[in-house]
Amino acid sequence: MLSKIFDKTYPGLEKALDLHWKRNEAISSNIANAETPMYRAVDVDFAKELERAFGDKSSSNLMKTSSRHMELSSNSGSRFVPDLSGQTKADGNNVDLDIQMGKLAYNSGKYSIAANLVRKKLQILRDTIREAMR
Amino acid sequence: MYNVIEVLASGLSATRLRVNVLASNIANAETTRTEDGGPYKRKDIVQTARTVQSNFSSTLDNASLAKPQVLAVVEDQSEPRVVHQPGHPDADENGYVAYPNINMVTAMTDLMSASRLYQANVSALETARNMARDAANISIRY
Repeated sequence: MLSKIFDKTYPGLEKALDLHWKRNEAISSNIANAETPMYRAVDVDFAKELERAFGDKSSSNLMKTSSRHMELSSNSGSRFVPDLSGQTKADGNNVDLDIQMGKLAYNSGKYSIAANLVRKKLQILRDTIREAMR
Repeated sequence: MYNVIEVLASGLSATRLRVNVLASNIANAETTRTEDGGPYKRKDIVQTARTVQSNFSSTLDNASLAKPQVLAVVEDQSEPRVVHQPGHPDADENGYVAYPNINMVTAMTDLMSASRLYQANVSALETARNMARDAANISIRY
């Protein structure tokens, strides 16, 4: 019953919100450390994770035989990775502030889209229920 | 949420200290006499990155978040700039006055880039705030 009300895109959108938030953390760390010597830029391995959340339906059916096994469709799958988009400067820092600001805007836009999609979907559901109760 | 704010707040505080130090260097570019004796010495900050654990951290991470931290403010130990001014009260026996070794052009460009960096930190903070607001608005009723 619930699976008919809440369709399959909800887990995907939830994952998208988590990943974009995590990526915002990484970009914020890069901006804060734009002048820190020896700091190396961070990013999140991204497209693969989201593809997995929306595409691969089988992963959620996997049985775990140990609590230390990793959940394929949860947060534990995504990770911080080195970001090599900028040139390394003389002080060993490789943050390019312009690239990071661009990424920041792009990423927060995507987050906003995902959040608004969830809100709209819930709103449609709420309207439907309200109409049915008349 | 709090990780982002923590990291960016450290960024703001480190950048503000950087601006203060640069402003002190510019203001004292011509100071020939200090409490310690001798001309003003150019100051510089030593900044490092301290690793922060994210709520989203995982065992697979091979990079991590970090917040900037200013370890110390150090004095430049290079030789002062000497100018021949025999009438000056701080002149040595040969008539040379020691001025701080400050390059105004470098100091000004450093100040401008530090100020831009501060703005970048502020807009990143605003972005984080807007994202949190978007998340809070998921449950709002219109």
